[in-house]
Amino acid sequence: MITALAFLLLLPLLVFMPLAPPAVALINPQSQHFTDEQFHEELVVRPLAGDHVNTYFQFTTRWHYGTRNNLYHTQLTPRVIAEVLQTYDVKELHIGLTQGLWRYESWGYPIVEATGGAEMWAWFSAPNLSNDDVDKQWMQLANVFSGVLCVSLNFVDNTNTIAPKHIFRPQFMHTANRSQQFVRYATLPREIVCTENLTPWKKLLPCGSASGLATLLNSGYVHNTKYHSLGVKVRTLCDTDDPNNCIVELTQTANLVYDLKLLEQSSTDFSLRRLFGMGLNGNCELASSSKIYVQRSERGEQFQLVPPPQHEVTSTRGGYTAIYAVYDMQEQFEGPGARLFNIAWVGPKSSSSSGSNKERASLPPLYAHRYLLGNGQKRGRIATEITNTHFDALPIIVMELVPWYVYAYLHTLRIRSKPQHRHDYGAKELKFSLLHYAPGKQRELSTHLEIGFMLPARSSALITIEVDYLLLKWLEYPPDANHGHYIGAAVISSQLPTGRNYTALPLEGHLFRDSYNASRPAYTLTLRTEALIVSLPTPDFSMPYNVICLACTVVALAFGPIHSVATKLIIVERQTTMPRNLLRKLFHKLTNRAAKPTPTALPEQNQQQAANQDEETDDKKQSEKQSSCNTPTHM
Amino acid sequence: MGLLSDPSLSTHNKLVDNLAKHVRKVCYAFYTAGVVWFLCLALPEFNHGTYLSENALSPGLVYPEIRIDANRLAVQLLEELQRERKDHQSTTPHAWILAKFNEFGLETHTHNYSLRYPFGGGKEFHGKNIYGILRAPRIGSTEGIVFSAPYRAPSSVHVEISPSVPLLLAFADFARRKNYWAKDLIFLVTEQEQLGMQAWLEAYHDGDKTPDSSNSYLLSGNLPARAGSLQAALNIEVQDLEIDYVDVKIEGLNGKLPNLDMFNLVQRIMAREGVTSGYKQTPRKKRRSSLSNFEQNLRQMLAMLATQSSGVPNGNHGLFHRYRIDALTISAAKRVTNSNVKSNPTSSAVPLLKAIEGIARSLNNLLERFHQSFFFYVIVHNDRYISIGDYMPALVALVACSFIKAYLTWSTLDASAIVLSQETIALKPDTKSLKLSLPYGSVLIYLAVVLLIGYLANVLPLQHYILELPLNAAPLTATILIALSLIGFVLPFVVILPDGGLELLHISLLLIYGCTLIVIGLLNFSLGFFVGVLTVPMVVALNTSTRNSTLRSLARVWTLLLNPLVVIYIIVLVMSFHQFPELTMQQLLLRAATAAMDAAAFALVDSVIYGNWLYFAICTIFLPIWIICWTLALARRRGNEIHQPKLKTN
Repeated sequence: MITALAFLLLLPLLVFMPLAPPAVALINPQSQHFTDEQFHEELVVRPLAGDHVNTYFQFTTRWHYGTRNNLYHTQLTPRVIAEVLQTYDVKELHIGLTQGLWRYESWGYPIVEATGGAEMWAWFSAPNLSNDDVDKQWMQLANVFSGVLCVSLNFVDNTNTIAPKHIFRPQFMHTANRSQQFVRYATLPREIVCTENLTPWKKLLPCGSASGLATLLNSGYVHNTKYHSLGVKVRTLCDTDDPNNCIVELTQTANLVYDLKLLEQSSTDFSLRRLFGMGLNGNCELASSSKIYVQRSERGEQFQLVPPPQHEVTSTRGGYTAIYAVYDMQEQFEGPGARLFNIAWVGPKSSSSSGSNKERASLPPLYAHRYLLGNGQKRGRIATEITNTHFDALPIIVMELVPWYVYAYLHTLRIRSKPQHRHDYGAKELKFSLLHYAPGKQRELSTHLEIGFMLPARSSALITIEVDYLLLKWLEYPPDANHGHYIGAAVISSQLPTGRNYTALPLEGHLFRDSYNASRPAYTLTLRTEALIVSLPTPDFSMPYNVICLACTVVALAFGPIHSVATKLIIVERQTTMPRNLLRKLFHKLTNRAAKPTPTALPEQNQQQAANQDEETDDKKQSEKQSSCNTPTHM
Repeated sequence: MGLLSDPSLSTHNKLVDNLAKHVRKVCYAFYTAGVVWFLCLALPEFNHGTYLSENALSPGLVYPEIRIDANRLAVQLLEELQRERKDHQSTTPHAWILAKFNEFGLETHTHNYSLRYPFGGGKEFHGKNIYGILRAPRIGSTEGIVFSAPYRAPSSVHVEISPSVPLLLAFADFARRKNYWAKDLIFLVTEQEQLGMQAWLEAYHDGDKTPDSSNSYLLSGNLPARAGSLQAALNIEVQDLEIDYVDVKIEGLNGKLPNLDMFNLVQRIMAREGVTSGYKQTPRKKRRSSLSNFEQNLRQMLAMLATQSSGVPNGNHGLFHRYRIDALTISAAKRVTNSNVKSNPTSSAVPLLKAIEGIARSLNNLLERFHQSFFFYVIVHNDRYISIGDYMPALVALVACSFIKAYLTWSTLDASAIVLSQETIALKPDTKSLKLSLPYGSVLIYLAVVLLIGYLANVLPLQHYILELPLNAAPLTATILIALSLIGFVLPFVVILPDGGLELLHISLLLIYGCTLIVIGLLNFSLGFFVGVLTVPMVVALNTSTRNSTLRSLARVWTLLLNPLVVIYIIVLVMSFHQFPELTMQQLLLRAATAAMDAAAFALVDSVIYGNWLYFAICTIFLPIWIICWTLALARRRGNEIHQPKLKTN
């Protein structure tokens, strides 16, 4: 407990930063001199290392609904969102639908984080809310969004949900009483994200896909990228003094990474038209602002922009300077007449600079990988490797969600460290500063593990935990059982002292321009690792499987007798007086049994009588005639 | 269920008595049946045509897109590599390969490993693998496929296969531009033959091992990057860009095989691209033979069993199987220059490249791991196979002999013991059941001692105090093995089992032998079957109560000949006779002796580094079994020795 507290003191910002700033942001001029609903659309284009281009769309709707007590009359905000917030006491909601994996080592950090598949987490807060209520509301919420976004979020239930303890901090104005805040987190790593999610996602926008930047999001092009991630983030910001004076903020993001080599062109030039299949036909008429930001620093340096930008902005954040060219779409489309707007990036022609393009990107301060070790279908080890390339130690929190079909053994949890340049891990271990462990329960709960520790400068940490794979019941295997089962990504959080590679929006901001010059003492960074596939012991669901089952049954049945034959002593009694005739044999047996108390053979006369006495206990080979006529006398 | 355990069943029933009279005939009948059944499997009526079980593979569904420019690139890379090879006579041009992978836009990493060679005073070797990962656009690095090419330095004693690296690179460059990959592709260049591959696989699956705590000999280290769970692997060994034929190698470590679907897939795609390919494919001239269909099939089968039985993989693919990654090697042979087939050097490798692309795309389609088709099979012909259900009866028939004999010996134990006791004028008529009074304890102790000898053979050569002796691996291992066999040889002369002990030992031998044979046969059919064919007649012929002295001495010679070490020596002798027919007998014997010693050492090293259990099986299973057989073969003579003093006391 003391160590945990001490650790939290190391991270004061992680806990307290969200508390203060939103209050400032909330009561700023915009809420006073605008009408109460606003929509902004933004596009950020960043050339990345290795001929990749990141395009980030952000559509923000902000509704200062003030003291209204119902949210049924919406203008720009989709009603479903506003309504859901109130119905289920949701204060903050994040949904991410992602295909692919963000490569930190070569691409730096994304503006918004997401893990592969579907990911969802939400904060609930209301007076008199209990844990059970939240569980129920969480499932209902997931079901609603399963319909809204056409995702299988309806599979979110208590078996794959956890309540993170340290890693997520609320981004809304929360009341001082933390006992009234509840958070739930779930991932569906197997979810495949496709057009069917993009279309409903676009429908949430005020202009839909009719005009504005959203027209660029054509599924044919969006899904040919190396990484695409759709995000929905909703939060409610309320005045600390007046809890009824609130803002609903809906941020929809689409984060794409294009691989220029896949566009099948020889040069490194590209354009909006090349990336999205068409130019821009205008801005969304409902938008208060509509801007395109193009990164001119780093990889962006070598490109010439056609047309040249209207103006450039230099932003210094955490000792790291970035230059952005800004295109204002509202200015661009001011005049009458239809036209298409396109930006082209013209790369350098000389071959020497194309060589420099191939050089490796400088590694970001912190990155992580996860993999499964061990062979066989019985047990394995989950290993999470976190590397700190920074010159100072970094505080790390890791959250693992291990599904119920994999048993994790806490006593095998180890954090080993090595200097960054070495390849293998020695026996040197790091100490936990914080450990939260909620054991899983078969078919009911997944294991939830949160670990906090300090990662020394320029070193890597390998967190390993041993797991056993469970043999499932035969109906619990999904279709394509041999594909394997997924273990969701680990979430890793830290506080970076520098702004290198860091592009996320500050907590209190809601537009990309809010990240200009947003220097802070520390930057909260959240990373996601790869998901894992484990092959659980899978029966061969086929004819041989049935044959094996049958054969095993036969063996099991035969085992008893064979065992007794092999272990029992067989003593054969020789009966010399046994008659040959079958009928007589029977007769002989009967008489023998009757005479058991007195082992000597009965005389002939008594035989009939003895038979009658013992008749009911005898087997049915006894002639029926005899039994039918004799029973009355006994009764 | 009472049926099976009815106590009224006498052990002296007629069936047993009759059987007991004809045990040998029955056993030899079973033996013959087993062998004949196996031979019959070569007939087309007994084996089946191959088919693809996994629909997701759908080989050849897509048109190959790889074009002549990839071939041009391969040719150009090969020229560059040849230049590099002049500077790197005994090393790998790591820098060049790294630079190429980087140029093609792959995520490139190196993997260092070292080997602590335990013998000869302990040396340390270092190696370096290079791999590039193509991160697939359609997946978050949860699954991967490996394409590997071994690199051999010019100083290597093996066949030169340097063109495989350019071919791999050319395919990597092509694959990098495609967006349909749904599994990460790992392009791996290993060195030092199987050692590099083993180190890489160990690092991939057990990368968290600490080097100092584990007493392993191969320090594989950790990998800087991975690509999820590996689904399949293709190893490429190409002798030249102009190829004559492709030999598909499948036998893996301990006789494991890749899924039959994988083999079929390769066969079909090769056929589609017009590449001559097959299992144990041989050059054109040799292929034109006048053998009958049956004979060809039988040769193929026996060739497969021969490769499989040693448990040594015949390519880098074999090491994957342990991790349940289906893998095989396509080994392309150089075209002989005087071939009358005209070829265009600028497009010669295109069919092979197309085939690799086709295989890659089929594997890319896989939704599940290979699981549909057979993992246990024998290839009869390129498109015909025998499944485990068909070949197991042959082995079962062989093993049945020992069980039948064990049962009969047990059943007739009373009778024979009575006869025996009457002969020796036993003075204890009150012994009701002889089975109860059998010397179980001493037989168990004897068995334990014998097993201990086997265990020592497995453990001793690796002990520190023995390794410190100034001896090389081969003489060291051979000396220990010979010494232990000698102990086993002498043991029956020294230890005398009490009355009835021999019979009991015989029964336990038959049971142990049957069980181990069936287990070995399940794990590695070839080894089990060959051992069965060789030894079953001897085990059947062994009889403790034979009175015919010529028969007994014959059995003794036979047993001596079947000592595991003698068998190994004979096998090596025959092989060296085939390889060096020009040598005189004396030279040959000597050469075979050194070769057999080397073989023992190699088997030991294999078991230590790769996990091959052949050495373990020979030492811990076959050697003890042989010692027991030897004890039984000597039985009668010692029996007389015991009887004489007894008579004297009487």
